[in-house]
Amino acid sequence: MRGARRRPGSRAVRLIFYAALVAAWQAAAEADVWPDEVFPSPYEVAEDLAHGAADGSLLHGVGTSMWRLLAGLSMAIAGGTALGIAMARVRVVNQTMGSLVLGLQSIPSVAWVPLGLIWYGPFDAGIIFVTAIGAVFAVAINTYTGVKNIDPHYVEAARNMGARGGQLVTNVLIPAAFPYMMSGFKQGWAFAWRGVIGAEMLFSYLGMGSLLNIGRFTNDVSQVMAVMLVIMIIGMVVDGLVFRRLDDRVMSRWGLR
Amino acid sequence: MAKIEARGIVRHFEHAGYRLRALDGIDLSVGDGDFLCIVGPSGCGKSTFLRIMAGLDAPDAGEVLLDGKPVSGTGPERILVFQEGALFPWLKVSDNVEFGLKMAGIPGRERSQISRRYLDMMQLADFAGSYTYQLSTGMKQRVAIARALAMDPDVLLMDEPFAALDAQTRDLLLVETQLIWQKTKKTILFVTHNVAEAAVLGSRVAVFSNRPSRVRRELAISLPRPRVGADEALARVQREILAELRPEVRRSGGGEGE
Ligand SMILES: Nc1ncnc2c1ncn2[C@@H]1O[C@H](COP(=O)(O)OP(=O)(O)OP(=O)(O)O)[C@@H](O)[C@H]1O
Ligand SMILES: [Mg+2]
Repeated sequence: MRGARRRPGSRAVRLIFYAALVAAWQAAAEADVWPDEVFPSPYEVAEDLAHGAADGSLLHGVGTSMWRLLAGLSMAIAGGTALGIAMARVRVVNQTMGSLVLGLQSIPSVAWVPLGLIWYGPFDAGIIFVTAIGAVFAVAINTYTGVKNIDPHYVEAARNMGARGGQLVTNVLIPAAFPYMMSGFKQGWAFAWRGVIGAEMLFSYLGMGSLLNIGRFTNDVSQVMAVMLVIMIIGMVVDGLVFRRLDDRVMSRWGLR
Repeated sequence: MAKIEARGIVRHFEHAGYRLRALDGIDLSVGDGDFLCIVGPSGCGKSTFLRIMAGLDAPDAGEVLLDGKPVSGTGPERILVFQEGALFPWLKVSDNVEFGLKMAGIPGRERSQISRRYLDMMQLADFAGSYTYQLSTGMKQRVAIARALAMDPDVLLMDEPFAALDAQTRDLLLVETQLIWQKTKKTILFVTHNVAEAAVLGSRVAVFSNRPSRVRRELAISLPRPRVGADEALARVQREILAELRPEVRRSGGGEGE
């Protein structure tokens, strides 16, 4: 994987692909098959992006969504890690919470929106709730799998060297399970990002999702597309920069590659 | 008085459809500063026995005495070096060595002094900042030994620590281990498949029988040290151990190990 990404040609290939894509888009828009209000040209979308960047609305939207995401995701990581470890180490927790967590995990984040609205109102707290709850079970399940897969010799060696209770959790269980927990964070982030945008659309209270909604209400297709583009780029940046890098480091450090 | 003693240790394991009697009343008394090597056919229960001595496993009957007092559970005075090494891949070599000290709340400066001392002893000073995936098998095994020594245990329990090593590294470590033992005066229980290893290292050798295992025979070896693997006296001891071991290995139907 590492080798493939570093191959010199791959960047050029990608660049050519995106250039071709934009050119095709431009050509399709110029062909005037669909009216401009339905299918804007890349130029119009870029204009909208520039406009949104200039008046600060985009930046504000990104900032708002990101902070909600971070708040929700960190709560999900803290709670999901604790829940996952408890499920893996305490039999009765697994017997009780185990199946429930699997069930809850299958609920899409947006399905939590009504509850978020009723419980926390249409503000930050409600959106953060939806974000956190959409991600927490993925984190918990991956942590559980990770702890279950720990080489028992690690735990025994640590116990033999005097690690007890909380020490064992922070010094052995979490680091040993970390490669699995990483997948949990990655899934959790994906769910949280979808959750935050979905919740913002339905709550219509600031953020990227809300900008999408405004675009829809004002029939401003290029704004909708501009915001979608930003959402996608943020997703790619987080995946590519944050997670892939972390993944590379963790996998080689833990001797898994 | 014995430093550590096993009295009538019995251990069963449940297998599909039957109950396997692995240890059938092991009695072993190891004096302070003894170097006891344990040999026996594969699967006879040597690892199980060491785990029980370490307190990582509990016997179905019998007890472990440390300084004459029964012990249960693990304790920092009995440290096991695992057959598999069991180093923590997420920690640097030095942090691996300091792990137990950190758990005991010893301050960082003192910890790093201790880890430096044992890494020096194991000729690993240059690798203190490396991660375990960057080490060879033999180096990992030496880190595992340094980690155990850093705990300064009274009793060191070693489970075939040299099994995965090439001949040269093993010969080196055989000499090193004798020097460390003479220097630190630790009580060592050392499991091995290798009769030559037992003869070189042990001040005593216990031969386990095939399952259900008992101690078939104990031999004392009083040859001068450091012993190296070639002389006639050592060969005689090896033959003596082999004479005890061979019938047991035949009975188990297994190979002779090395
Ligand atoms: N957790 C376990 N569950 C069931 N059986 C076990 C377990 N641990 C060990 N045994 C059995 O106990 C016997 C002794 O195992 P042990 O690992 O102690 O042997 P050993 O003498 O160390 O063998 P080797 O020399 O191959 O390392 C074996 O027959 C094994 O099948
Ligand atoms: Mg064994």
